[in-house]
Amino acid sequence: MNVREYISSGIIESYVMGLASETERQEFEANCMQYPEIAEARTAFETALEDQLLKDAISAPSFLKAQIQEKIKSSTNEATITEFEEERPTRRIGAWRWLAAASFILMAGSVYWAIITNKKYQALQAKNRELQSQVQQSTAQGNEMRDDLDKLRNHPMKTAALKGEDDHAYAIVYWDTVSSSRDVYLMINNLPQPASDKQYQLWALLNGQPIDLGMIEVKQQRLLYRMKNVQNAQAFAITVEPQGGSPKPTTSPIAVSNL
Amino acid sequence: MVTKLTYEEHELVALVRNKEEEAFGYLYEHYSAALYGVIKQIVGEAELSNDVLQEAFVNIWRRIESYDENKGRLFTWMLNVAKNAAIDKIRSKGFRQSQRQIPLDGEVIQASVRPGIDDYGLKRMILKLKDEQRLLIDLSYFQGYSHEQIATALHIPLGTVKTRIRSALTQLRALMQ
Repeated sequence: MNVREYISSGIIESYVMGLASETERQEFEANCMQYPEIAEARTAFETALEDQLLKDAISAPSFLKAQIQEKIKSSTNEATITEFEEERPTRRIGAWRWLAAASFILMAGSVYWAIITNKKYQALQAKNRELQSQVQQSTAQGNEMRDDLDKLRNHPMKTAALKGEDDHAYAIVYWDTVSSSRDVYLMINNLPQPASDKQYQLWALLNGQPIDLGMIEVKQQRLLYRMKNVQNAQAFAITVEPQGGSPKPTTSPIAVSNL
Repeated sequence: MVTKLTYEEHELVALVRNKEEEAFGYLYEHYSAALYGVIKQIVGEAELSNDVLQEAFVNIWRRIESYDENKGRLFTWMLNVAKNAAIDKIRSKGFRQSQRQIPLDGEVIQASVRPGIDDYGLKRMILKLKDEQRLLIDLSYFQGYSHEQIATALHIPLGTVKTRIRSALTQLRALMQ
């Protein structure tokens, strides 16, 4: 084939402007694949035409853009169904409608089933997470309890029971006098809940002077509640103090225990 | 919404295929006026041209899958979609009926009083062609008649219609450059 002659025959213009017959089109497309210079010449004319038409452009009325955009949005959503209705012969529309309805019902069913299954799955997952955290919590609590028991069993501790008037122990002080840090622990027994603006405070007494050992939380998860350390003490006492405690006791102790 | 100033053509095609709204905005901003110019030259009347532009964009949007990069540029494809929508419109029953009432229509009377008011773009260019060539382009491109129909109407052989149209198009191209 004489490519140059073919290029200048007008087939390119005819093809690009949509005036070529079906046979010419197919032939031209095949030639473009085979001869890159034909495709190049086509692109050159396309670009020239495009530039020309962009130059000769006339703006459409400004309201059209939004209108077309709206139309496109709805046509994107309905494209499939509309095409069925537009393009199928009338006689078959019934069957297609029926099929469409049936598949819609099937699809709706599957979607429903998927949603329900997913919900169940989510619920099971949540339950599983909850159980897991419960197990972790229990394990942690168990470990703490074992640590506390180990302390009681393995460390020779000095104990001091802080008793109320009816001789029931409010709490017991465990004082580890063997370790150099001299840790103080408190085991809560029967300490009544104080008024909401009050808090119990633990003191060590040395030569009649109170030493602050910290505030007591009545509700304890731990068996042994760690207080501040004290190097020397002759007795322990609990007083009722305003929330947050006081540097010196402001009331008489509700319980005192000598060692 | 921030619209990019330019897209590579393949990027734009991908966006339209994904039905991204920004792609519509870009297509419309850049090409609607060029397409509208051609549509208006085929259809003539403004309101119908609006309808055709809308149909053209809906078709561009819905049939983007049938656009094949190997066969030409995106604009060429859009132009042919728009041209076909315009030809469909003037071939429709409603349009042909409305054309019979044209003599009563003020706008068209005015146009005939002031010939050449709509001559811009391709139409202005084909005015520079020889009468015979202009007629062939007018009938085939702007009125959408097939080569066979033209051959029958003008009593010339089909082969001659083809050759003459092609040579008219080559002339047209020369005028563009």
